[in-house]
Amino acid sequence: MTTATVTQTTTMLPPVTGFEFDEKADLEQSPAWFLDATHSVPPWTPLFGWFWINFCRHGMQYGAEKLSLPTVKGWDWRFRNGGGYLTVMLVKSEEEQRQREDRFRVAIRPFIEDYDGLWHSQLDEILGLYEDLKKVDLDRATNIELLDNFEQTVNVCRRMWEVHMYMMYGTYTGYILFENLCRELIGIDDTHPLFHKLISGFDNKVLQVDKRIWEFSQKAAQLGLADIILASEPADIESNIEAAEKGPAFMAEFREFLDEDGWRMQRMSEMNQPTWIEDPTPPLTNLKQFLVKGGGFNLEQEREKISREREAAEKEVFAKIAPEQKGWFTTILRLAQKSGAFSEEHDHYLDLYTHAMMRRSALGISRRLVSAGTIDTLDDIFFLIPEEIRKVAINPDHYNLRPSVEARRAEWLEWCKEPNPPAILREGFDMDQAMAMLVKSNDPIALKVVVGAMPVVREELNADLHGTCGSPGVVEGLARVILNEDQLADIQPGEILVAATTSPSWTPVFSFISGVVMDRGASLSHAAIVGREYGIPVLMNVFVGTEKIKTGQRIRVDANIGALYVLDK
Amino acid sequence: MAKKWIYAMEELGQEHFDLVGRKCANLGEMTRLGMRVPPGFAISVDGFEQYMQVTGLGERIEAYFASLGEDLCDSVQKQMDASQAAKLLIAQTPLPADIAAEIESNYEALCARCGVPDLPVAVRSSGSVSMPGQMETYLYVRGAAEVTRRVLEVWESTFNTRAIAFRLEKGMPVDKAPIGVAVIQMVNARSAGVLLTVVPTTGDQDQVVIEGNWGLGESVVAGDITPDNFIVNKDSLAIEKKLSTKQRYVISTLNGTVQADVPTHLQELPCLQDEEILELVRIALGVEKHFGLPQDMEWVVDNDLPFPANIIWVQARPAKFSASQKEADADYIVDQMARLFRR
Repeated sequence: MTTATVTQTTTMLPPVTGFEFDEKADLEQSPAWFLDATHSVPPWTPLFGWFWINFCRHGMQYGAEKLSLPTVKGWDWRFRNGGGYLTVMLVKSEEEQRQREDRFRVAIRPFIEDYDGLWHSQLDEILGLYEDLKKVDLDRATNIELLDNFEQTVNVCRRMWEVHMYMMYGTYTGYILFENLCRELIGIDDTHPLFHKLISGFDNKVLQVDKRIWEFSQKAAQLGLADIILASEPADIESNIEAAEKGPAFMAEFREFLDEDGWRMQRMSEMNQPTWIEDPTPPLTNLKQFLVKGGGFNLEQEREKISREREAAEKEVFAKIAPEQKGWFTTILRLAQKSGAFSEEHDHYLDLYTHAMMRRSALGISRRLVSAGTIDTLDDIFFLIPEEIRKVAINPDHYNLRPSVEARRAEWLEWCKEPNPPAILREGFDMDQAMAMLVKSNDPIALKVVVGAMPVVREELNADLHGTCGSPGVVEGLARVILNEDQLADIQPGEILVAATTSPSWTPVFSFISGVVMDRGASLSHAAIVGREYGIPVLMNVFVGTEKIKTGQRIRVDANIGALYVLDK
Repeated sequence: MAKKWIYAMEELGQEHFDLVGRKCANLGEMTRLGMRVPPGFAISVDGFEQYMQVTGLGERIEAYFASLGEDLCDSVQKQMDASQAAKLLIAQTPLPADIAAEIESNYEALCARCGVPDLPVAVRSSGSVSMPGQMETYLYVRGAAEVTRRVLEVWESTFNTRAIAFRLEKGMPVDKAPIGVAVIQMVNARSAGVLLTVVPTTGDQDQVVIEGNWGLGESVVAGDITPDNFIVNKDSLAIEKKLSTKQRYVISTLNGTVQADVPTHLQELPCLQDEEILELVRIALGVEKHFGLPQDMEWVVDNDLPFPANIIWVQARPAKFSASQKEADADYIVDQMARLFRR
């Protein structure tokens, strides 16, 4: 008998068994695979990749099937070097399309007849699942209970993606129909300022959280904490507040707020960074930025104006619609207006919250593994995969997973050095054909998220860069190029944010920047929705903004005409 | 030209649906039922057809659409371009003098009949198929030249993008669409509104619902204001009134119709007298009986004529009611959503 622990040596399991990209088989299945640059750049850790590839993929096929979308069966996903690669699954025969359309006509009706009821019943189900997960006290639970909590988290993630994609496919179908009707009935598309006015001026959960942080900034000022906060580096804000006389009571209240709304990640689609609850630095940095900017909460001031503009826009549009068309047009308009709120809220309640639950559960097990000597640090868990976690969770002291962690971490560091290719194409298949395949799928999510409108280059504008309008307006100011979440704290009030893309974890900065330039995006992108609510111009699909613009340069953004000018070249 | 293509409303009835379109045929039918409708005339679908033929425009448009090929169905942008191109062709093709003269002389006759030079009229489209996007209505049009211009604009509306898309969807010929035009006197409206012989929200067919406001009916139809609401029991004729403070109304001016503030002393007063309500109900029940279906009707009370000659009707059609309206809307939306996947 030996007392030595088992050391895993030679055969390391791939992170996402069964869904690792296999060039031969996968290119035979589909000629084009696209990198999900929005979510998987920088590359995912193995554990997060496992969750995403397995269940986002499942959710999309579930959603497309549940709605019986006539031309597309959802997306297939593969994992390659930390990147998520996706392809659309086309419905192959016209006969099958017709059969699916018959079922689609029945399945889509709840979205038309009772959208709010539908969304809230699903949301309540998911929020209930989170509460069940949180009931487990991870420090006191037995190893069996911890593993059970992990397995349930896996199931919650799976269910979350089902709800997520079912709702998203249905919601975006309504949104795209509204866009089409606007083109046909009133001759405007989704880059037209009037279009943006029609769908702006609505509250959502993410904006409510911003407002709470602003309220805390006002409270901090009243308590005389403003100077301390303004003088602190982001990482020190918390400890410096705690050291002040009225600080501990303030932080206690702030943590209470976070217990409710702080279940979110710094990076939208990753789990290897702390949640707001673990580390309140990001929301405290936002609080500080509110103090730097001073003045009121501009969302509130803007809201009334934007709502009034929306009402005027609705009037303008209704005047062009015949009375007998008003009924259904109103229904579709309301559906489109809800799409924006859905786009933001689902990130908060679904993605971010579930990822926070995944992190919570994984860290619960990780603590036991560290104390049993199975791994060295808490973060090591993100380099394991569920198969290994299941293997060791009940009796961790019998195993040594360090070699696994070490090998995968080394591999992950390699992934981070070399960017993943934006697409993997079959020999002889080019990017135009690949895009045409997406368009042909009529997949509502692909159309709204992947394809987007291409900017029209208008020579007469003599602009340095061209883009599409995500939120109307014109602004001039200093550029701030942000490449990842860590740099968000650098943004100064009044600057124009230049980024590849943004996610709901960035929302608070929108209240003090004066404009946004994005490399990619469509009218339902995060930046467009939030920009419209804050009444700041957003120029999207500039493609090379982060490459061509330098922080500190003075730029002029005219979102209305889709032009960007660099003023001090 | 030999063939008759302009008719007095009194000459028309339901059977002329294809000839003059739904609206004109209905107005004709209403006069047969003893309802007072505004005097006017109908331009049949042959009017538009003739303009297209005589000028060669029909062939040009046909050739244009033929040149676009099959993929018009698939691209909204192409449909928008086609719409613009067809409208441009029309704009470049003036109305032949004899066609214009025929419309003008009928208008002059209408002026003479009403005893008002430059009689203000409404010019409305009257399609034989209810076609979304092709619903032009011009109110308070005065003078022969203006009337002819508006008639041409109604014709042109058959090439609105939405109308083109609709015809493509339904597999109808895309390069032409029959359309009639109604030219009717503008009533000097004291009050106006709608009447339904069924409660639209519940489907209850024992009551008549009347909604009205001061001035023209547009404010009620558009749903911009809270109108007076009268519910009348079909048996007992008991009237239940829900009066509202009517702050805004739509009135005619020399420059067309405008929204204005209701004079303060009228805001709280009912816009209909009891005898007028009962007269509206009496006629409406007769129409309902005639068609055997609940009716959705639009009425106007003339400011100058004595009761009961002041009760004038401008529309009568089968009512959509209760869940069926919502369901019909949902059906339509489902159709449109399914269409998104057929591109």
